[in-house]
Amino acid sequence: MESRQQGLTLFSAVLVLIALLVVIQLWLVAAAVDALLSRQTTVLVPTAIASAGLFVLSGGLLSYVVSFDARLRRWSRRG
Amino acid sequence: MADERSRWRDDFPVRWDDDNYMTRRELAKFLTLGSGLLAGVNGLIAVIGLTGRMPAAPVRRIAAVDDIAPGGSMLFRYPTDEDPCILVRDSSGRFDAFSQVCTHLSCAIVHRPDDHALACPCHRGAFSSSDGRPLAGPPTRRLPRIVVEERDGEIVATGVEV
Repeated sequence: MESRQQGLTLFSAVLVLIALLVVIQLWLVAAAVDALLSRQTTVLVPTAIASAGLFVLSGGLLSYVVSFDARLRRWSRRG
Repeated sequence: MADERSRWRDDFPVRWDDDNYMTRRELAKFLTLGSGLLAGVNGLIAVIGLTGRMPAAPVRRIAAVDDIAPGGSMLFRYPTDEDPCILVRDSSGRFDAFSQVCTHLSCAIVHRPDDHALACPCHRGAFSSSDGRPLAGPPTRRLPRIVVEERDGEIVATGVEV
């Protein structure tokens, strides 16, 4: 498989992974709203921390895949 | 077949050149931005939940002690007129009060003195009539307890314990 094709596959995989993380965050928001309305405040901080962690993970994946893509482009130009 | 296709194209003219395409990179950035927004919303909910002050529950007379026989119950509303509650007197004479709204899907619960339970007829849920914990059926959360006291022969509600 060519490097360009590998890059596309990696990008698609990371895209799906980020989408999954966003879906988990949506579920966390729904759980937090439910807890807030039923006044169960003990759930709120863990959901906020988990959501922030997922955001950091999403950002990390994005920056990784963007830098990988940039490296690939540089390498292609040289080759 | 060719005619059908051309009719379809006449009815729904689509110019592919005008379509806006989104690259993988743009979609990934958009999703990550959404992820950040959701994290912010979650943080905001936590701040509201931890710092928001609920209004103090009023002290309100519910009934006279003699109005309810042991094993009986009565309905009342507390802390507002929009919050249905149930006052239960067990066979020993002790009073307990709970929200009448089932924690599963908000149906109204009824007192079953023979089972010492508060039952939800919608999905056969049941709660203990002494502490409001779920006993059977789909509910997983206990009923909010209404704090009641006896004062000079009267039952008064003084607060809500969630």
